[in-house]
Amino acid sequence: MSVAMAAGSRLQLHGERQSGQDVRTQNVTAVSAVANIVKSSLGPVGLDKMLVDDIGDVTVTNDGATILKLLEIEHPAAKILVELAELQDAEVGDGTTSVVILAAEFLKRANELVRNKLHPTNIINGFRQAMRESCKFINRELAISTENIDNESLLNAAKTSMSSKIVGVEGDFFAQLVVDSIRAVKSVDEITERVRYPVKAVSVLKAHGKSARESRLLDGYALNLSRAAQGMPRRVVNAKIACLDMNLQKARLMMGVQVLVTDPAELEKIRARELDITKERIQKILASGANVVLTTKGIDDMALKYFVEAGVLAIRRVEKDDLKRIARATGATIVVTLADMEGNETFDPACLGTAAEVLEERISDDSITMIRGCESTKAVTLLLRGANDYMLDEMDRSIHDSLCVVKRVLESNSVVPGGGCVETALSVHLESFASNLGSKEQLAIREFANALLVLPKTLAVNAAKDATELVAALRSAHYQAQNDATGESKDLAHQGLDLIQGKIRDNFKAGVLEPSLSKTKMIQFATEAAITILRIDDLIRLDPSPEADQ
Amino acid sequence: MAQPKQKHEMYKESARKKDVRTTNIEAAKVVADAVRTSLGPKGMDKMVASPDGQVIITNDGATILQKMTVVQPAAKMLVELSKSQDVVAGDGTTSVVVICGALLKKCQELLAQGVHPTVISDSFNKAANKACEILESIAIPVNLEDRESLLRAATTSLSSKVVSQYSSLLSPMAVDSVLKVMDPNRPGLLDLRDIRVVCKSGGTIDDSEMVDGIVFDQKTAKTAGGPTRMDNAKIGLIQFQISPPKPDMENNVIVSDYTQMDRVYKEERNYILNAVKKIKASGCNVLLIQKSILRDAVSELALHYLAKAKILVIRDIERDDIEFISKTLNCLPIAHIDHMKPEKLGLAKIVEEVDCGKGSVVKITGIENSGRTATVLLRGSNKLVLEEADRSLHDALCVIRCLVTKRFLIPGGASPEMEIDLQLNDWSRTLQGMESFCVRAFAQALEVVPYTLAENAGLNPIRIVTELRSMHAAGQKYAGINVKKNAITDMVEAKVVQPLLVTTSALTLATECVRMILKIDDIVPVR
Repeated sequence: MSVAMAAGSRLQLHGERQSGQDVRTQNVTAVSAVANIVKSSLGPVGLDKMLVDDIGDVTVTNDGATILKLLEIEHPAAKILVELAELQDAEVGDGTTSVVILAAEFLKRANELVRNKLHPTNIINGFRQAMRESCKFINRELAISTENIDNESLLNAAKTSMSSKIVGVEGDFFAQLVVDSIRAVKSVDEITERVRYPVKAVSVLKAHGKSARESRLLDGYALNLSRAAQGMPRRVVNAKIACLDMNLQKARLMMGVQVLVTDPAELEKIRARELDITKERIQKILASGANVVLTTKGIDDMALKYFVEAGVLAIRRVEKDDLKRIARATGATIVVTLADMEGNETFDPACLGTAAEVLEERISDDSITMIRGCESTKAVTLLLRGANDYMLDEMDRSIHDSLCVVKRVLESNSVVPGGGCVETALSVHLESFASNLGSKEQLAIREFANALLVLPKTLAVNAAKDATELVAALRSAHYQAQNDATGESKDLAHQGLDLIQGKIRDNFKAGVLEPSLSKTKMIQFATEAAITILRIDDLIRLDPSPEADQ
Repeated sequence: MAQPKQKHEMYKESARKKDVRTTNIEAAKVVADAVRTSLGPKGMDKMVASPDGQVIITNDGATILQKMTVVQPAAKMLVELSKSQDVVAGDGTTSVVVICGALLKKCQELLAQGVHPTVISDSFNKAANKACEILESIAIPVNLEDRESLLRAATTSLSSKVVSQYSSLLSPMAVDSVLKVMDPNRPGLLDLRDIRVVCKSGGTIDDSEMVDGIVFDQKTAKTAGGPTRMDNAKIGLIQFQISPPKPDMENNVIVSDYTQMDRVYKEERNYILNAVKKIKASGCNVLLIQKSILRDAVSELALHYLAKAKILVIRDIERDDIEFISKTLNCLPIAHIDHMKPEKLGLAKIVEEVDCGKGSVVKITGIENSGRTATVLLRGSNKLVLEEADRSLHDALCVIRCLVTKRFLIPGGASPEMEIDLQLNDWSRTLQGMESFCVRAFAQALEVVPYTLAENAGLNPIRIVTELRSMHAAGQKYAGINVKKNAITDMVEAKVVQPLLVTTSALTLATECVRMILKIDDIVPVR
């Protein structure tokens, strides 16, 4: 039975097959390669990547999930890592780089253990135990509850998440923007009475020019569109807004209807009728008192005339998502068709939404339309300014990450100190936890504990500091804090790295905070991904089906 | 055809026959070896990357073999074997292939010793029959009321999968859903199609649930702002379309006068309005509309009217689901607007759209006079996990189904294989000649199961197998390998049990497959 692996080559199939240690090593190599790419962008002094795709589009970013998404990785195991980053992005929104580095480190160490004749299943068990213990430890010992969250910790959490990004230099400024905007979109679910902070409700507008500091929070909803015709008013006060999801173009008969005329005069009448049908529709809308008309589809020049005459502000080709949000904010109903229950066409004034003011503003070269003073202010707009597109895109991504982080802090009500503090504390704790176990899993848990140190190490290396010395100092501080019966060195538990000074300091006091959910999820996801890859002992790559050449 | 005088060629011919048999056996054995490492609770997974870049990670023998696209004809038989085990029992798809491989290996040895293939084939058949008898003698009868035993069997089947850590959640689901769809008067007619598993990515497996009612993967149609929640729902399941009618043949409506244009519009509105009014008049307030390929199942205009009439609409119901839905909701599918009668509607307390990860699902709960169906909503963090969870749940469901059809449990952990091994050995002593020899070989082949189980769990296989054998010889017929404790314990006490049907069918199927391969002495490729 020992020849089983050698026999693998004799298995006749359309494709190649690898098994056993080969696959594991290969998977680990692929995964490490991926992690190495993003490694240098971790932490406040991490650097950015420039990615150029085949048509020459450039992306400059520091965000792990974005980098990996653009890499078009082919190796199946490495793909799992990309998915892992995406998952972290979706569930938490931040920590995407860390999760990838951590998962790769777990695998690297697990592979070493397998080589030293520890069975993968023992390692898997050990990792699972370590993961559970870590999550418990974070919630029990490290998490600092922020019951009634003060602005301070929110700002700090936002600043920490930004620190590694391009906007980090203006951290204070942007943190304030982020916290203000997420607070503005707070909403309470009617049925479950849960408070929610929908990140989607913050719309982000990007405009060229001026410096990043000129970015601001706009009150109300901004549309990146201008009015449909120059003759329309720039500003409408006490707006009554009609949200339409229909075409206001010359009416066209439906498919399968043929127009057949014998008399040329008839033709003219039919043409006139086509125009009139739309005209009547517009008049019905106008009769209801609407003075702002937004539609997702087009408006003919011919039809625009009527709006101009009535002094109504009309905007065409509004994005459907935007329209939905405007409808929610102003209390309007989106109208798909004018048909009523009698089979005629009418426009119900109840479908109109209201806003104090709708006006067109110019920002650099673009005009945008602002809707202010909505019934409910559940929508805000962040206007970002910057030197070029790449910078604006990266700012957008960073702001999105921070929004997610603040939202998590608000929802989960607990934070942990950042800067490698949690990882080191866990590592120290797991070492002593492992020593209490008498089984093979002990080795796996110990390696898990060591693997966690990769994050503070990478942080220090990226900052060009002495990683060995700093991590050792950090570990000894945490060891003291955890093995202290008197409670004197309790505050050492918050020690983390200060990457600018190259020292260790109390990161809680320094205001480097992260949501605790981000850390627990990171450890859970990284472990799950490592286990998934570790369980694989056979890789079968199928060739394209040979039917094509027959 | 061969002329008698060419003695030389005759000899060659028989050598060829031997070659064919050897290649077949070799090829089949390699297949068995390929899946061997995924046997048991500590088995490993396989990753299969198909040419279009799709990746599957699985532990399920049938799935692995199906995806592997082996080309050798005899190897293909093993793939088929695993598939038929999947159909019959649903579980044990890896074991059946592994046993088959071990039997083939023994055949090779027997053939080398000069035993005629037919003799091997017949004796294996006898041995398999005897093995089934032995299994039945050690089986423990189970009562369907005994939920605890059923749970144990489901947990055992789940233990080898990636989702094993969630078995405390998934096995009650499997047991409850099978018991729910079972007709106590006719338990033999259990149809797993009555259990609908809806997979929705996002969240973790912990968020999976069994829904008392029905779940749709679709969203409610709300382009026109229709309702997304309905209390005291009256549900109509319609198979007709609410959109402008289309005759069978190509046609044109001809307009020759401008006044007719308005009429065309008005007619369309009235036609649809009438349909909606009829639906409303029947009291229906939730509408499930079957997907249509001929024309739009429901037009924008119709959605608008339905929204105005406060009717919740779910579009794109698959044709295949109609039967399940009508059974669950206790309603009749309605094929024409004129048949829209109140008595054809199904009644439910709540129909609502619920947020579910990135998307949302529609749940119908509190159904009146619901039929014997069950719905499970599976969640998972990514597609790979979700698909594997689906496959694992299917296996667990099959295990419970096996128990319903044949109500006996046997211990797991390679305990039955070892017991058969010992008893067959004893039995072989009462037989004469070649037969005795072959039966003993059959018994020895079964040792592959405890051996592999121990090997996969990182234990010393030889020590474990010998220890297990001595314990069985000492009369502890339920002793098996407890992989969790890395020791040999009483499997019934350790609550590791499996349905009798899975093992008997694995044994008989594997034996039949071996006999088939043995009898082949030539491969003739036909173009």
